[in-house]
Amino acid sequence: MNSGILSKYGTQFLQVALTLTVALVMGALVMELSGKDSVEAYRVLLVSALGSRTAIANTLLAATPLIFSGLGAAIAFRAGVFNVGVEGSIYMGAFASAWVGFTFLGLPGLPLILLSVLAAVIVGGLWCYFPGVLKARLNVDEIVTTIMLNYVAILFTSYLVNYPFRLPGLSNAMSAEVAPQAWLARLVPPSQFNASFLVAVICAFFMAFLFNRMRLGFELRTVGDNPIFARWSGMPVARVIEKVMFISGLLGGLAGASQVLGVNYRFIANFSPGYGFTGITIALLARNSPIGTLIGALLFGILRSGSSTMEIFTDVPRDLITVLEATVIFFAALEFSLTWLRRKQHATT
Amino acid sequence: MQPLSNLLFGMLRMSTPLLLAGMAGVLSQQVNLLNIALEGLMLAGAFFAVVIGAYFGSAWVGLLAAMLFALLFALIFGFFIIDLKANLIVAGLALNILAIGITSYLLVIWFNARGVYSPGNFEKLPTLTLPLIEKIPFLGDVLSGQGVLVYVSWLAVLFTSLLLYRTPLGVHMRAVGEHKESAETAGIAVKRVQYTAILIGGIMCGIAGAQLAIGDLTLFSDNMTNGRGFIALAAVFFGGARPGLTALGCLLFGLFEALQIRLQISTGLPPQLVQMLPYIMVVLLLIFISVRDKYRGKAA
Repeated sequence: MNSGILSKYGTQFLQVALTLTVALVMGALVMELSGKDSVEAYRVLLVSALGSRTAIANTLLAATPLIFSGLGAAIAFRAGVFNVGVEGSIYMGAFASAWVGFTFLGLPGLPLILLSVLAAVIVGGLWCYFPGVLKARLNVDEIVTTIMLNYVAILFTSYLVNYPFRLPGLSNAMSAEVAPQAWLARLVPPSQFNASFLVAVICAFFMAFLFNRMRLGFELRTVGDNPIFARWSGMPVARVIEKVMFISGLLGGLAGASQVLGVNYRFIANFSPGYGFTGITIALLARNSPIGTLIGALLFGILRSGSSTMEIFTDVPRDLITVLEATVIFFAALEFSLTWLRRKQHATT
Repeated sequence: MQPLSNLLFGMLRMSTPLLLAGMAGVLSQQVNLLNIALEGLMLAGAFFAVVIGAYFGSAWVGLLAAMLFALLFALIFGFFIIDLKANLIVAGLALNILAIGITSYLLVIWFNARGVYSPGNFEKLPTLTLPLIEKIPFLGDVLSGQGVLVYVSWLAVLFTSLLLYRTPLGVHMRAVGEHKESAETAGIAVKRVQYTAILIGGIMCGIAGAQLAIGDLTLFSDNMTNGRGFIALAAVFFGGARPGLTALGCLLFGLFEALQIRLQISTGLPPQLVQMLPYIMVVLLLIFISVRDKYRGKAA
């Protein structure tokens, strides 16, 4: 029994290690082909991500939104819904959070923070809930709708800070500043690393609990594995999908709020460098396991925070990380079908 | 009449990349391969159209390069989904992200440019004046004088339609899409047929990318496809993977894009709000076809 569990985690660990190795080798290949020193680039990346107290704090800071967005992708994927819309929820949630923060200036710190986070969670959640309803009730393809809604969210929030909530005299479109009492505590100054990281970690453990111990977790796993069985055993499949999509968007909203209350203290147009999409990569790498997602987000935190310094010192563009992400996803695409094949073989033999 | 003919002229211009990517989507859908990768294939085409075009100082060479490189990316995609049987959606997503990563990486490596590259050392692709049609009052203003790839995109629709319904290869494609195992039993080389569909689609996406990059200007900017691959995919859903209806969907979305641009120029509406229009229309249209299908399903 025990050895079974061990070997299960063992294979999973090997799979992830193999995927990452191949991605890093691919990255090295791309660098060497374009005449860059890959060993030096990776060395600089690692040192600047982990080489000092501040560096580690910055890495955890970079990982924070990725933990949220990774969990958001993971819960949807686990239920068999290919939600690409967490990015949109990040934008909508971030603006909602900022709006509360710069509107209710008179509230004391803790209530203001809670209200701001609540707004982010509701708005972010609803932003994915809507395509979730369309998917569950009308079978509207969720990939296309969520991608379209990402564009709508990015444009709409950009409109908000360019017109009704415009700050005059600034070249970049951004909202007014959130009231200072709502700024999240910075844990390792001078790094911007802040308390939202702890919330993200708690979320990961809560999601693990939800997946494995709660009724919704059981339902969403069943819906993801075998929707027909789920329907025949009387599960409210449509309602499960809607709930899952709400939670998925809610986590995106939290990612947005973490950037507003913890880092920028305001909403900035086009602020996300694709947190939602990196979250997809992480969830795929972690095979939708919440704790795996937490670890994956930390790994990508290293890549993200190290890559800017790498770009400055070794002239290797930080876009290399995107190539690594693509490789990871290609690998995940393979394993998806491998596990599926294995299951099919089981069924036939 | 002037504003209307301007709008329709713009519609044809804006629907060109959608038509080409849409036909690529039709071909892969017909062999039962959902093509999420249209976006990335187009982006790769756009990038190499500008880069190689600038290197040789010729838009025509750029167009050829766009076709070749999109073909190469389609080959990678095909290898994963056909030979390695990778998950369609995940592999498509991977290809899109690969295209974004590689293009922005090379942009910095080769030109030390972040975000935008506009070489300005070569002419965009030429426009065509249609003889006779040019003389027809209203129609001439709309149809004549478009960029050369606009006409190519119409030929692509015709080509796709003829290929699917008038050639043995098309019959094989539809057979593979209908029931792969039966097609295999009937002696059709399933993999080869699927590869053919994906690769022809790759070339079309390359042309679509070239239209974006060297059709009107000679410029590449990061992620300049802006979801057009997915809009084309929505048109494929709308058209039930039939070339004619899909083309209609692409024209419709092209109209919304042209309308969006006209509204930005001619009214004081905030550009960000107006730019949302095509994306919202895609969502609404997808809702519409799902309701329609549901209704039809009940009626049948």
